[in-house]
Amino acid sequence: MKLFRKTDILIITLILAVAAAMWYFYRSSVSGRQVRAEIYYYSDLVGTVELVPGQKRTISVPQHENVVLRTDTDGSIRFIRSDCPDKICIRTGRIYLAGQSAACLPNGIIVKVVPADGWKEGDPDIVIGSSGEQ
Amino acid sequence: MRAASKSGSGPLARNGCDFGLSEKRINETLNDPAATERAAEELRRTKRLALSGMMFALALVLSVVEHSFPLPLTVPGVKLGLSNIAVMYALFFLSKSQAYSIAVLKGLFVFVTRGLVAGILSLTGGILSLTVMLIIMVLFRDRASYTAISISGAIAHNMGQFIAVSFIYTGMYLLAYLPVLLVSGVIAGIITAVLLKVIIPAFERLRL
Repeated sequence: MKLFRKTDILIITLILAVAAAMWYFYRSSVSGRQVRAEIYYYSDLVGTVELVPGQKRTISVPQHENVVLRTDTDGSIRFIRSDCPDKICIRTGRIYLAGQSAACLPNGIIVKVVPADGWKEGDPDIVIGSSGEQ
Repeated sequence: MRAASKSGSGPLARNGCDFGLSEKRINETLNDPAATERAAEELRRTKRLALSGMMFALALVLSVVEHSFPLPLTVPGVKLGLSNIAVMYALFFLSKSQAYSIAVLKGLFVFVTRGLVAGILSLTGGILSLTVMLIIMVLFRDRASYTAISISGAIAHNMGQFIAVSFIYTGMYLLAYLPVLLVSGVIAGIITAVLLKVIIPAFERLRL
């Protein structure tokens, strides 16, 4: 078996093109929508924050006082403190588009950005492992 | 493993490698062609056993190496998947059952060392990745390259872990992350394919 074949270039280009097309489709379908952030502890919704530009708030959930989130004036939300070992949640940075999420898996805390009026019929709503309220 | 426990038991074991055969049995075997054939078969099996043990060890080392240097990856499920190299080697040169055992054992190792969720994620990603690679190998045989198989395995691995994260925690919006999973799968797939190509001659030199 060969390491590389010419057809691989075709396959890779195809995959990248599909990825780019999906990215474009996603961005154009959600940009400019009113959003809110939902905070989950495993699959339980434990808090909701409206993401309104110009508002700065620091949030933590009773299940994990050591995990701190902050909404920013540009209408985004991010993890700012966590006691987990890898800090992936903090490195994810700010999220602000409907569909984006940030996760602190060791502490079981997930933040999802969702449209303020919920996902609608006709949205490209491929939500997997739905928590039942989508 | 049997080879290790019995080595040093006779003159033939001086090089520390008698493959579990006693001197008496070797003498009997040499006078009987059928027994020689059986012994050869046993030797092949022992070699394969040793090789899959080494592959499992390699998978664990690669998994630890990968976990110890942080990559700027912030999407659940996305990772380089270096230990996939060991699984792929097993799939190409040993057998599919050995590849599956390595994937399952690696999941158990992650479960023991890093907890239940990490174990489930490793297992889901590993099994899905292996199954996809196997399907592609069966469908395309020699027309598929290491790179193509490695890329599909990496994408399947990413998707498997992402889906598992979504089920364990809460539903995630796949469309926002699918592009990331695909692109990172392509990159990880190319890297692991090249590394596998580098490793193959090293294993051949071992004459296992």
